[in-house]
Amino acid sequence: MSDFLLYLTNGLVIGFIYALSALGVSLIVGIMNVINFAHGELYILAGYFSALFSVGLGLNPALGMALGVLAIFVLGLIIERTLIRPTYGNDMYSLIITFILSIVLQNAYLFVFGPYPKKPPNWVKGSTEVLGLFFYGNQRLASLLLALAVIAAFFVLLHRTWFGRVVRAVSLDREVASLMGIDPVRVNLVSFGLGCALAGAAGVILTPIFPVTPTVGVGVSLTAFVVVVLGGMGSFVGCLAGGLVLGLVENFGAAYISSGYKHVFGFIILILVLLLRPAGLFGQRRL
Amino acid sequence: MSEAAPGKGNLAGPVWAALALAVFLTFPFILDQYWLHTAIVGLFYVMMASSWNLLAGFTGQVSFAHAAFAGIGAYTSGILAARFGLPPLVGLPLGALLAALLGLGLGGLCIRMGGIYLSLTTLAFSEILRLVINNEYQVTRGTMGLKVPTLFGAYSKTTSFYVMLAAAVLVLALIRWILRSDLGLSFRAVQNDEVAAASLGLPVVRVRLTAFVISSAMAGLAGSLYGHYLLLITPHIPSLDLMFLVLAMTVIGGLGTFVGPIFGALFLEALSEYIRVWGEFHVLIFGLVALGVARFAPVGVVGLIQGWLAARRAGPAAEENR
Repeated sequence: MSDFLLYLTNGLVIGFIYALSALGVSLIVGIMNVINFAHGELYILAGYFSALFSVGLGLNPALGMALGVLAIFVLGLIIERTLIRPTYGNDMYSLIITFILSIVLQNAYLFVFGPYPKKPPNWVKGSTEVLGLFFYGNQRLASLLLALAVIAAFFVLLHRTWFGRVVRAVSLDREVASLMGIDPVRVNLVSFGLGCALAGAAGVILTPIFPVTPTVGVGVSLTAFVVVVLGGMGSFVGCLAGGLVLGLVENFGAAYISSGYKHVFGFIILILVLLLRPAGLFGQRRL
Repeated sequence: MSEAAPGKGNLAGPVWAALALAVFLTFPFILDQYWLHTAIVGLFYVMMASSWNLLAGFTGQVSFAHAAFAGIGAYTSGILAARFGLPPLVGLPLGALLAALLGLGLGGLCIRMGGIYLSLTTLAFSEILRLVINNEYQVTRGTMGLKVPTLFGAYSKTTSFYVMLAAAVLVLALIRWILRSDLGLSFRAVQNDEVAAASLGLPVVRVRLTAFVISSAMAGLAGSLYGHYLLLITPHIPSLDLMFLVLAMTVIGGLGTFVGPIFGALFLEALSEYIRVWGEFHVLIFGLVALGVARFAPVGVVGLIQGWLAARRAGPAAEENR
């Protein structure tokens, strides 16, 4: 029984992290109809930055994390301005360019950071007994709380601010939004940066638990993509639901069926979604 | 796109093709074993890049499973030969067939949802195939590699070269034929304006699916031949690294042109032999060059040259061809 609860807890913790990472993909696809294949590479770059700032430069870990996310936000703005903007209206080239970018970044990391796993120091030590049933690492609990805080902040931004209203308007109907005086090019720029920053946030939050190597980004991207398709492209509530479903399925699947095939369960979910409900749990089919 | 399709009376295309083929036929007599090997690998990439281009360059769909389908072809005929003693010549079409069937299944699932879904699903498929190959090492021997026999007879680089050349010519001729047929016309119609194509009664989803299945089958065939040439099938064939190389070759050569991927594949393969001393830097360099080309010259090197030639001719006929 306590095993079951442990897997459940793990599934929920990982699920919220998946949701956080997928929010960035969903934001960008909802606004720009662009899939950022370098999403996972930006996630690991933030992890590298946080390790570099806190271990290499001796900064406070919290400051290191904030700087890491900020750096990814700025990098996202640069990528949008230089690489994505010329592809507006041509989905194919944005797919090709972000895929090439992901390979370039992977190889660059190999040279800059080396092949070995890197991680910043844990924020907290020890473990806590949960409900008197099992011990759970404090770092994981702290990561969960921070992930929840970032997700909550994102939803506040989306539903309580002027910027959020603009984002929702553009993702509902681009043309009508631009008729209302919204500048779609600037919305694209900021949304892309913000989407990348969300990847970075997931990266800095998770790196103390799962150290980064140059190639783990592919798995991060794929997980985020499965979550986005499962939840429905462009739906943020869908991201939350999709992340939790995937986190739970993967952890129970790994525990009770096969750990080597942990990530195959995500693919099976993807196929089932495409078969049964291609628009996703919370998606509207826009054709 | 910018394909300068010569008219029926224009013999320039066939003449160039015959000349190139004549040069290739002499390779076993003029190249040493090392460069002959490079030429064989180059021909494998010609098939891969050209068939990927048929899909991406002419219907506007980006599949990231092209290397995975090559892996399906290689492992299918490889496992059948190594474990069950099936002659590779029988396994070869089976590998291409399985790649086509998997393409049909994957494409049937996601193409109706639009191009982005195909890219996501094929990327996921590629990653899953990698996991399956690594986990089922009892069958596939995982990263250790699976030893497989030659396609037929004793091992000979000259024979392998001619087999690969024949296959490449077959694949290229088929692509050329498709592009000039009504099917090729509908490919381009679907790419240029989906709504207009649909309003003319074109079954858009079926056209896209057809392109995906044909392209995947060609990758399966190429992969199977490649495996029986290397004699050792490793997860490198269905890897995203190889996928990236195929994509970079096509993009640098010229997406949406017939000659572009051929040029890109041979050029990059030869180049990577020259810059091998730089180690893994060459992937980074190819990546940066491909990024630059995709950003600043999306028609690629061949597209640029064709555009330049057309501008030089600067007649009304040249304008039509652009």
